Amino acid sequence: MGTATGIIRALNSGIKHLAIKRFTLRYPEEKLKFVGDGYQFDPSTGVGIAGLKGRHMLFHDKCTGCQLCSIACEGVAEAIAMVKVPEEHKHNKKAIMPQIDYGKCVFCGLCVDACPFYALYMTNDYELSTFSKEGLIYTPAQLQVKPYVAQDSEIIITDRGASHG
Amino acid sequence: MTTELPADIQSSSSEIQTDKPSSNWLPPGLALQKVDERIMTLNVGPQHPGSGHMRLIVQIDGDYIVACDPDPGYVHRGEEKMAEYRNYITNIPHLERPVIHDSCNMLYPYVLGVEELLGIEVPERAKYVRVIAAELNRCIYIMYWLAIYGIFLGHSTMFMWPTGDRELLIDLMEKMTGARVTHSHFIPGGVRNDLPANFEEVCLRQVNYFEKRIKEYAAVFYDNPILISRTQNTGVLSRQDAIRLGVTGSVLRASGIDFDVRKKEPYDVYDELDIQSIVMTEGDAYARSKIPWLDMMDSCNIIRQALQKMPKSGSVRVKLKPNPKGKGLDTVYKRVESGRGSLGCYIVSDGKPEPYRLKLSVPSFRNLIALPYLLKGEKLGNMPSVYWSLNYWPVEADR
Repeated sequence: MGTATGIIRALNSGIKHLAIKRFTLRYPEEKLKFVGDGYQFDPSTGVGIAGLKGRHMLFHDKCTGCQLCSIACEGVAEAIAMVKVPEEHKHNKKAIMPQIDYGKCVFCGLCVDACPFYALYMTNDYELSTFSKEGLIYTPAQLQVKPYVAQDSEIIITDRGASHG
Repeated sequence: MTTELPADIQSSSSEIQTDKPSSNWLPPGLALQKVDERIMTLNVGPQHPGSGHMRLIVQIDGDYIVACDPDPGYVHRGEEKMAEYRNYITNIPHLERPVIHDSCNMLYPYVLGVEELLGIEVPERAKYVRVIAAELNRCIYIMYWLAIYGIFLGHSTMFMWPTGDRELLIDLMEKMTGARVTHSHFIPGGVRNDLPANFEEVCLRQVNYFEKRIKEYAAVFYDNPILISRTQNTGVLSRQDAIRLGVTGSVLRASGIDFDVRKKEPYDVYDELDIQSIVMTEGDAYARSKIPWLDMMDSCNIIRQALQKMPKSGSVRVKLKPNPKGKGLDTVYKRVESGRGSLGCYIVSDGKPEPYRLKLSVPSFRNLIALPYLLKGEKLGNMPSVYWSLNYWPVEADR
């Protein structure tokens, strides 16, 4: 193949792309859709449930303050600290629950694997930016809140190329 | 299994001279002394985007490179020492960090090694899930590598297209593992979670489209006469030198040696899958840049085979005791084919929950050794194409 033919073929290949769909996600307006409600773990079978490893969610009525999540995080990020909570639960005598520092967390989800009481899950919330370092520390009360997520964009493949629909 | 050395290796000439350590050792850079008025010493890096936090000290005579001294070590993280203070499970998140785009393959030898140390039998379905994850990760890594190779050569289209098309596979990994990069998906005893519902169908559709897309790169990049004129016969690594220097992966296969760990020492279920290991004989930068691209098509093929052969149901993870321990003094060495070449992990256990010693034998560092020999006599403008064609990842080499 001659040099001229090769360059024309390369240019032609680029020009064809004017006709195919744009493969760009317009992020703040559109958000990607994830499978499920976030990464969860079933201690009875020992297998996780697929989902995004985002911000955690803590169920206060299930947490016993056993510190297993904190121990699991020890060699990884040391992001989990056990703090006192004002509320009293029969199964949580010490009244301690995890507080997670998202400045340190690496979102590996090993704390979720460690929880034997279905108390700690991960959610689809990944927009955690704040203006201060302290804002990244989530107390048990903040972790209790179920995040509001509106994520509906999926990759659609047609004859005219792939796009985020 | 050992690889037989071809007969021509024994009689090969001694054109590569190894520098003997002298008594008055100088740090890199200072070791290259000014010998002539014509020769200029040039620092490429460590901040240079073309170098990726590593420094190349180049001596040039006009436009031609006289000598090159790579100076890695700017992103040393002490991964191996860190591993000695963490147990077999908490080692997972940090051991996949050296190459975040290839994190499943980075973790693969460690997980295989720990399984042998602890005597864990992995379920059949988990092995297939791992193979799919590893092949998807290989494609993600190569797409990133290809994008950087494009921008190194000033081809911005080749930067944009792979970066965009990589999203198809990142989306699959996100569905599968819950993270776009650094998946922490492999664990001794299988994988962390089962595949989501409907994954096989989505995976097949996106991988098919992905393969169609990467075939379009031929016209714009690989058959492009400008690329060919810049990379063909540049930085030629002969067959003998490839073996002498101990390079691996695509660099080795570009020099005409058929060595792929997936084929020669199959791990998990690679022996049940049909793998083509692509070999080219030219040994120049063009062959080294083309092999990863052909590898991606092979990976798509492997993913399709694995999706077909995978058991449709079953467990994917064996329950482990908390703080699993090895059985007394024991060592294990496992290696896999990563996106850059053969990646080995050597673990010594003394019966404690932590490994006594962990050593990563990384392909990037092996491939870097070839760089000074390849650059000698090349033009300075060809340096980026030769450097990045070695499939070198600074963070992995420094560990």
